[in-house]
Amino acid sequence: MKEEEIVIDIQELKKSFGDNEVLKGMNLQLHRKENLVILGKSGTGKSVLIKCIVKLIEPDEGRLRVLDQEVKDLEADEELNKLRRRVGFLFQGGALYDSMSVRENLRFPLERLSDKPSRDEMEDRVYEALRSVGLEKAIDKMPAELSGGMKKRIALARTLILKPAIVLYDEPTTGLDPATSKEISQLILEMQQEYDISSIIITHDMACARITSNKMKVIRNGVFKYKGTYDELREKNDPWLRDFFE
Amino acid sequence: MKIAESLPESFQRFFINVAGIGRFTKQFFRQVFKPPFEFREILNQAYRLGYDSLFLVGITGFIIGMVMTLQTKPTLEQFGAESWLPSMVSVSIIREIGPVLTALICAGKVGSGIGAELGSMKVSEQIDAMTVSGANAFNYLVVTRVIATTITVPILVYYADAISLVGSYVGVNIEGNVSPSLFYKQSLDILVFSDIVPATIKTLFFGFAIGIVGCYKGATADKGTLGVGSAANSAVVISSLMIFVIDLIAVQLTQLFIR
Repeated sequence: MKEEEIVIDIQELKKSFGDNEVLKGMNLQLHRKENLVILGKSGTGKSVLIKCIVKLIEPDEGRLRVLDQEVKDLEADEELNKLRRRVGFLFQGGALYDSMSVRENLRFPLERLSDKPSRDEMEDRVYEALRSVGLEKAIDKMPAELSGGMKKRIALARTLILKPAIVLYDEPTTGLDPATSKEISQLILEMQQEYDISSIIITHDMACARITSNKMKVIRNGVFKYKGTYDELREKNDPWLRDFFE
Repeated sequence: MKIAESLPESFQRFFINVAGIGRFTKQFFRQVFKPPFEFREILNQAYRLGYDSLFLVGITGFIIGMVMTLQTKPTLEQFGAESWLPSMVSVSIIREIGPVLTALICAGKVGSGIGAELGSMKVSEQIDAMTVSGANAFNYLVVTRVIATTITVPILVYYADAISLVGSYVGVNIEGNVSPSLFYKQSLDILVFSDIVPATIKTLFFGFAIGIVGCYKGATADKGTLGVGSAANSAVVISSLMIFVIDLIAVQLTQLFIR
């Protein structure tokens, strides 16, 4: 895959919930090894957009190609699951499985692969993923015993264990203190560089946006209103946009 | 559409639930034969749901057996039919009281537990996390729990029946002196095929109803923590109602085909 290769291509994507038109014709392209940060006020459809990418939500209209596959055409569970395994998703609260230990959380996606790795191989991959987020010692802990930052890291490890080509981050630093937010942001950047991952990062946290982004897009009224690098957007004179940076 | 909208909200909710549970049941039968088969999780759930209910089901069964005996004894004594007491209690317990009471306890304990567990998984996006990891969340969460309740409820019913008869024996012997062998001979000799088999079959349906309703309410929970509480609550209400409806149908069918 070449770096300029497009891994996600969204054209005129629309989604409404009843009378509320959330996405009004979104266009977006994500290139390989690119970190794209999406900014926008609450309720503007940022999470809806990334949930459409993995078909957790069905869009009403528009074209959505992910890793050269038209998402709308993936009807059979097996085809869709194959794509989902190549697109990691980090949820806002981490979404660790409460009834499972950290080890079981990380083994869960591996155990459901059609070419399931051996027990030893699985254990190695669990340790490798935990090492990459610096939490090998938490392997036998339950999610309830972990802090917010640890949960996010473990969730990131669980996302990375399937070695995805793309990762979608839904507000990865929300609810964390500034120091932990910075650690998570740097970890996202490290993961991109170490595993050649392309990412879409949804955030309100400008420090996170500054650290992680190669490119940024801002949603307003259901469409992308602004795009550019962090510095380019910071220099814009629109008071609405300046509120994010100040 | 207008007719549906003109109905009171409680009726609309009722029909929405009926349609939703119907769709969920259809999806269950579509998924149940599809690999991967989560045998380990079925066993885990059966153990968790069944083992955790043993004490509650046992103690309730014991008390019901004893109370029934103590309540019925004076009436039978008036007619000089005291010797029929073990037979009467055992038929009542095996045919009706044991299955319905155990199922209601399971609806309260297991059904609400499933509703709350899946509801909190739903609101904390754990179900979505399973789905996006490429796993079949319905298979892992719903199919396993429904199979587990369908297997464990009949086992718990047999267990409750046995403990109820022990309670009844204790009740008989509070003021009397009946040997265990005589009591159990009188209790069990009266039982025939048409007492045991239909009662067992209906408990399979009770178990299925508890599992499917609990999972449906949990998987469709919303509105944060309020939704979780509401899912647990309505799982108990709907599955209890379904237990009585299934029981009514089972009694009619038994009378139609067996008697």
